[in-house]
Amino acid sequence: MGHTSLEKIIALQKKTPHIRNLCILAHVDHGKTTLADCLVASNGIISSRLAGKLRYLDSREDEQIRGITMKSSAISLHYTTGGNEYLINLIDSPGHVDFSSEVSTAVRLCDGAIVVVDAVEGVCPQTQVVLRQAWLENIRPVLVINKIDRLIVELKLTSQEAYTHLQKILEQVNAVTGSLFTSKVLEERAEKDAEAQSSCTENGSGDQVYDWSAGLEETDDSDLYFSPDRGNVVFASAIDGWGFSIHQFAEMYSQKMGIRSSVLLKTLWGDFYLNAKAKKIMKGAQSKGKKPLFVQLVLDNIWSMYDAVVTRRDKEKVEKMVTSLGLKVMSRDLRHSDPKVLLSAICSQWLPVSQAVLSMVCEKLPSPAEISAERVEKLMSVGARRFDSLPEQTQELKKAFLDCSADETAPVIVFVSKMFAVDSKALPQNKQRPLTQEEIAQRREQARQRHAERQAANQSAESPGSADTGGASTTVAPASGTEALSVKTAVEEDNKEHFVAFARVYSGVLRKGQKVFVLGPKYDPSLALRLPEGCSAADVLPSVPHMACCTVDSLYLLMGRELEELDEVPTGNVLGIGGMEEFILKSATISTSPSCPPFTPLNFEATPIVRVAVEPKHPSEMPKLVRGMRLLNQADPCAEVFAKIEISASKPIIPFRETVIRPPKVDMVNEDMGKQQKVAVIHQVKEEQTKYPEGVQVDSTGLVTLTTPNKMATVGVRAIPLPEEVTRLLEDNVELIRTMEQFSLFVWEDKTLDINQKILENIQEFKVKLESNLQGRKWRGAVERIWAFGPRRCGPNILLNSVEGYRRPSVWQCLEREKETEKAEIRDFDNSIASGFQLATLSGPMCEELLMGVCFSVETWDMKLSAPLAQQDSIDEDSRAAEPNIDNQNESSDTHETNTSSASSNRSRSGAEAAGSSVDCYGPFSGQLIAAMKEACRYAFQAKPQRLMAAMYTCEIMATAEVLGRVYAVLSKREGRVLQEEMKEGTDMFIIKAVLPVAESFGFADEIRKRTSGLASPQLVFSHWEVISSDPFWVPTTEEEYLHFGEKADSSNQALKYMNAVRRRKGLYVEEKIVEHAEKQRTLSKNK
Amino acid sequence: MSIFTPTNQIRLTNVAVVRMKKAGKRFEIACYKNKVMSWRSGAEKDLDEVLQTHTVFVNVSKGQVAKRDDLSSAFGTEDLTEACTQILAKGELQVSDRERQSQLEHMFRDIATIVAEKCVNPETKRPYTVILIERAMKDIHFSVKANKSTKQQALEVIKQLQQSIQIQRAHMRLRFVLPARDGKRLKEKLRPLIKTVENEDFTEQLEMLMVFPVLQVCLIDPGCFRDIDELIRCETKGKGTLEVLSLKDVEEGDEKLE
Repeated sequence: MGHTSLEKIIALQKKTPHIRNLCILAHVDHGKTTLADCLVASNGIISSRLAGKLRYLDSREDEQIRGITMKSSAISLHYTTGGNEYLINLIDSPGHVDFSSEVSTAVRLCDGAIVVVDAVEGVCPQTQVVLRQAWLENIRPVLVINKIDRLIVELKLTSQEAYTHLQKILEQVNAVTGSLFTSKVLEERAEKDAEAQSSCTENGSGDQVYDWSAGLEETDDSDLYFSPDRGNVVFASAIDGWGFSIHQFAEMYSQKMGIRSSVLLKTLWGDFYLNAKAKKIMKGAQSKGKKPLFVQLVLDNIWSMYDAVVTRRDKEKVEKMVTSLGLKVMSRDLRHSDPKVLLSAICSQWLPVSQAVLSMVCEKLPSPAEISAERVEKLMSVGARRFDSLPEQTQELKKAFLDCSADETAPVIVFVSKMFAVDSKALPQNKQRPLTQEEIAQRREQARQRHAERQAANQSAESPGSADTGGASTTVAPASGTEALSVKTAVEEDNKEHFVAFARVYSGVLRKGQKVFVLGPKYDPSLALRLPEGCSAADVLPSVPHMACCTVDSLYLLMGRELEELDEVPTGNVLGIGGMEEFILKSATISTSPSCPPFTPLNFEATPIVRVAVEPKHPSEMPKLVRGMRLLNQADPCAEVFAKIEISASKPIIPFRETVIRPPKVDMVNEDMGKQQKVAVIHQVKEEQTKYPEGVQVDSTGLVTLTTPNKMATVGVRAIPLPEEVTRLLEDNVELIRTMEQFSLFVWEDKTLDINQKILENIQEFKVKLESNLQGRKWRGAVERIWAFGPRRCGPNILLNSVEGYRRPSVWQCLEREKETEKAEIRDFDNSIASGFQLATLSGPMCEELLMGVCFSVETWDMKLSAPLAQQDSIDEDSRAAEPNIDNQNESSDTHETNTSSASSNRSRSGAEAAGSSVDCYGPFSGQLIAAMKEACRYAFQAKPQRLMAAMYTCEIMATAEVLGRVYAVLSKREGRVLQEEMKEGTDMFIIKAVLPVAESFGFADEIRKRTSGLASPQLVFSHWEVISSDPFWVPTTEEEYLHFGEKADSSNQALKYMNAVRRRKGLYVEEKIVEHAEKQRTLSKNK
Repeated sequence: MSIFTPTNQIRLTNVAVVRMKKAGKRFEIACYKNKVMSWRSGAEKDLDEVLQTHTVFVNVSKGQVAKRDDLSSAFGTEDLTEACTQILAKGELQVSDRERQSQLEHMFRDIATIVAEKCVNPETKRPYTVILIERAMKDIHFSVKANKSTKQQALEVIKQLQQSIQIQRAHMRLRFVLPARDGKRLKEKLRPLIKTVENEDFTEQLEMLMVFPVLQVCLIDPGCFRDIDELIRCETKGKGTLEVLSLKDVEEGDEKLE
């Protein structure tokens, strides 16, 4: 078959029933691309000699180097059988788990799939995955059992053994399909049962007849399974270029042996044998120890050929076979020293794999026109929405789908499953083409003109600035900087990669220059129905969310690495659309009708798990990085790019898996999974009291009293640990707390904020829950006395008002709006106390991280204010929150430094103020109160035993039994804790659930993969905060402890380790010696 | 008399001398290098790890030991160890190389942390990471000065960083309530200090027989806070109020990049 011309393909594209859209799916290294090569070779695009070596569809450089497919790519092929011409749009997909998102995008566009299984390895994990994906997308699979030559050459099986082996593989594949089918039937059954039950209860009838059959028997599943006698299985060796289905042999032998081919077709696979005497085909080959028909007629022939060609290299026999088969083998091949060459020369003529596969595809797989109604409904109904609930006009579109007509009137519906980057050089517009006569003439004319201009310019002046800018490379020292700049931008423009949308037309004809709607995945068709009837994309429309109008720039036929430009693409074809990168992020639906629903999002087998923070090596290159990230986001269907900050601030964190190739041109270094520790209090008595500075009195129960430097106010604060449930409750209800806070802020200003009923109910519920959790004597009435939450007014810490004789409006004001209780007066400086609390919770004393689960209870609050002072203060009470800034010399909003220096500066200033002018002293005073409150909180906190809290991941690891030990080793090395371990039924895989501190998780996935040779892969999900039980300030005290842990005990103290790491990272003081042993320093000699 | 052997000679290059003048006399002690700061901060608790010898000298390099009488008159004790600890605690010393290095390193980190806390990327309104700031600081060859406070240096470095990367102080969000009479006049004065006004409200509001019509929510550069506070306090004679809504206006949480 010669090279198929573009015209022919275009002609074929219009014949919808003769189009087959299919993809090749398999586990990694089962021979997808090799098979695709064979199919491509049949069209004369590549030499059949190179088929299997070239890997034509692996067009990227890294794909060729690594020898694996990474991106799915499409090619259109032409195939003729029985007088019918077919157009086959073939999509090759990657088999590696890391690229499984590519498989999802490929499967969506196809009607059928070729599932390739390695004859030696059988069904592998990824095979199951692709079968499931094909099942979920409702596309019909056919099976190719590949690499049969390995059974002969490598495993050296006899034909009989090979037969049983193949049977087993087939059974495995069918078992997977069967289980998918059963699960679906059972699901439906369950639904039906639920309905039946509800109806039963309505009827109130007592007869309960339980149906045992579970519906499996009723539903026919026979057409799902793979079986050679159904013609949906091909046995092949793509590397040697041969493949066959039972059909071919059945026809061959029916002529030779005079048995009807239909009989042979049925008996060639299965437990049948040929009774030579009776000239009959009998059943029960196995029990009688006879060779099954398949072995005798099919496999034996192949085996003897391999024997002759490869193993024994018997020239005579080979020649005999060749002539008997009626083949012509070139003498060059016969003489070739490598038997493989001869083998493939013979086989590719005798049993060409492309013939076998393509004929099977054309017969067994549906054309785009035969799309099932079920699949259409599934595609059109997004998420949980039922198809019936879609607007009427949308439902009408279903007909268009089913018709799949290429009429002018039919609405255009196109689905874009992914965007892929193409170098602009590869685009057909920019490609070098043999020039036509006129073009050459035109160019010549241009060149002549330019030459003349240049000469003229040279004559007039010798200025280099006017040198031609036509050829960007020849700019001679541009006079003006702007010119250089423009050239530069032009070059950059050229280097820019173009995104081509990988799409398929489901209905209508897509034309170049056509105006279409681009519908994002979240688009709701019902919105569009409000638009005036009968509008088209050409009209100017009010903007609808997730909908855009655009013109189709260019259409491409995808031919592997090449793109051919097209003017129109009729229904049922796979195509590339250019110029869409502005409108489409990853996937989209393109239609001329606004009532078209967006297609269901792709089923991804793997969801993004790993989050990686990326930052540029040179901070000034941040915009470039962002651009790179955008490209990555668009190009990889699985990567989701977030711009994100952690609690302690970091740049965009991108959750993609670690093996994905990184975007080009940007240096990416540093990953920093936030080492977030929080500080918490736990119920334990600390032995040693830390030193307190002057002015702080601590009583034995942990009540800390602190007086402001000007001796005007005294606050007494006690820290109490909150129960764990309360902490969690507070964490979960941050939004509610924020609303409440807003409300009280508005009340403060005598305004009202309307909160809807639902939120009010939620708040009420939250309050009740809090009350139920805060029980006991200590907490009596605590919920009503809550003063504030912190940090940032909505965190998991509570400030409690336990001051006697001070009633302030509660935080639950919004609930009691109706009651309108007597307005409790707010004391002056109420705000300062709250701000002090907010600042204290924002940075704990251990490592300046947020506090969590701490309740500060203000027990005493005495003020000794002079009257005028108080009056003035009451006027602008509000301005106090900002006071620390005024105090600090640099009017900075610094929150983390609350050192004694600021306190001392306060003291001196306030001393002067108290002595003299009382006019301007209120500012500093409220600031002092904030500082005092903050300090009091900190000391109160330190009076209790403190603990660090570590963020924890839950980690799920799937591993085989052999590597279990190594998984455990890695886990325990990283302070992980195994929660449970169970064996997955039916396999030898173990599922291990563990928790792991976030701080230890960096590089965890890599290490586990390395240690287990890739047999185990973890999935990490943030789960909770956990208190690290060890005390960071613990030192050995008894003799035994001293012996056991040594003097410093830092080898075992995990909390101390974390605390010091954080402190060191932040540049805080770490209590450690610069030099451990004074005597062991390097001695510097005097002479040197 | 000691025997002058290679093992028991202590070269002066490896000795850190701590000096103190008391009662008109100079006292010195011989310490190990890089140890005195640790002792002062309390990290080192073993005195023997700090002192080369429990002897108080008049001149370490010459090996002249202080006289007993001088000691007792200056320190009130004849116990050498007691005298040594006093000198250690209060004497002056030359900071040795590693001590200085670690001190500068700490300050550098501290400055970077402060900068990262205060600043955002003006494009995204998101903070930078500390590591990134540290790298940027190294890129502009910022050198830490040990005698200036870290906060002061942080403010300086922000200005310098603005030339190489996109960085900005995170804005403060403020709310003023100004009396009607002064409102218009004050607004003109405030305008140059305010970055953006988010929300302005002229609603009449009766409160305490005074009219507070101008309500403004705006973003300012934190550096201007003092001026604004001053201005409002003086101009309105304590009638206008100023409230800080947030100390730094920073975007947080996930945002999908699209």
